[in-house]
Amino acid sequence: MDTLSVEARLVERAKAQDETAFEQIMNLYADRLYNYILRMVGNAADAEDLVQETFLRAYQGLPTFDGYASLGTWLYRIATNLCIDHRRRRARRVPTVSYSLQEDEDGEPAEWEFPDLQTPNPLDAALNRELEAVVEEAIGNLSPKLKTVLLLYDVEELSYEEIARVLNIPIGTVKSRLNHARTQIQRYVAAYLNDAPVPPRGQARK
Amino acid sequence: MHCKRCERQIWAYVEGQLLPRQAQALEAHLRACAHCQRQLEAAQATARVLRALPRHRAPANLSEQVRRRIAETPARPTLDWARVWRRVALAPALGLLAAAAWWGWYAQHSAPSTNTVAADSAEAFVELHEQLELADWSPSPTPSYFISTGYTR
Repeated sequence: MDTLSVEARLVERAKAQDETAFEQIMNLYADRLYNYILRMVGNAADAEDLVQETFLRAYQGLPTFDGYASLGTWLYRIATNLCIDHRRRRARRVPTVSYSLQEDEDGEPAEWEFPDLQTPNPLDAALNRELEAVVEEAIGNLSPKLKTVLLLYDVEELSYEEIARVLNIPIGTVKSRLNHARTQIQRYVAAYLNDAPVPPRGQARK
Repeated sequence: MHCKRCERQIWAYVEGQLLPRQAQALEAHLRACAHCQRQLEAAQATARVLRALPRHRAPANLSEQVRRRIAETPARPTLDWARVWRRVALAPALGLLAAAAWWGWYAQHSAPSTNTVAADSAEAFVELHEQLELADWSPSPTPSYFISTGYTR
């Protein structure tokens, strides 16, 4: 039996008040949703609350869930909406680090050193950890629209079609947002590598 | 190829989504442009890091917490939906009742031949419907039942 029909049966059982079926749904999606929500909101306490809220809403919405969307698509949609509401509630702007890299900016520094990332060397592991931190920070600074698409595609590995259904937007919009998001992160990485070609571990970034 | 176009295509190139002809044009530009070459390397590094980002696991007591919150929540929304439905259905029902009452009143006062209006509002409705269709008092060139009621009096 494929994943969809297994999930459809779980949903039917959960609709019939079978608590173990809902428990199984939670087990299937808890890590995926938490991983997604954590990167959407940026802190563990809010992520934990929001993932609970996602499942609570799902439980309450089960009677009206028609099964037209897949269970995963539906849950990611609930989670996305909660994350966006959460952000709106926290409308107080937290100052973010800016590299002066706007989405549409074209100019880059003319001359700079670039480490050869393909050649193994003892600093690779340290560099990768640093790059990971840069990418995480860059993700955190994306607008919600771009962040949602990037996380769903590159991290949660949903297809373009699934993301289009989660966000109720055309596939072309998914692709263009993804390209914008990736380009923005790529520019953070390029700027980082330019500023500190061989960064000592733990050095604070500008 | 200009740098701007190259940058637009870098991610499609990294993903192997360009046509061979497009890829060759991009590679030719990359060989001649150190800036775009660096952007490509940054994109490749970004792609590698994105694919390998650590996955965070949900707290162990998550389902327990959700069950607790479910238990604290008073009722499942099926009941709420039923209530909403009843309210939605009530509006046209009240409207029909009011219309029937009005037609009943109208029949008694403006149509002496039917001064024995049936107590049953459904019967009154049918009678008045017929009367209104027969009564040629609408000023409209194409008398319409719905247009003539209410607005032409």
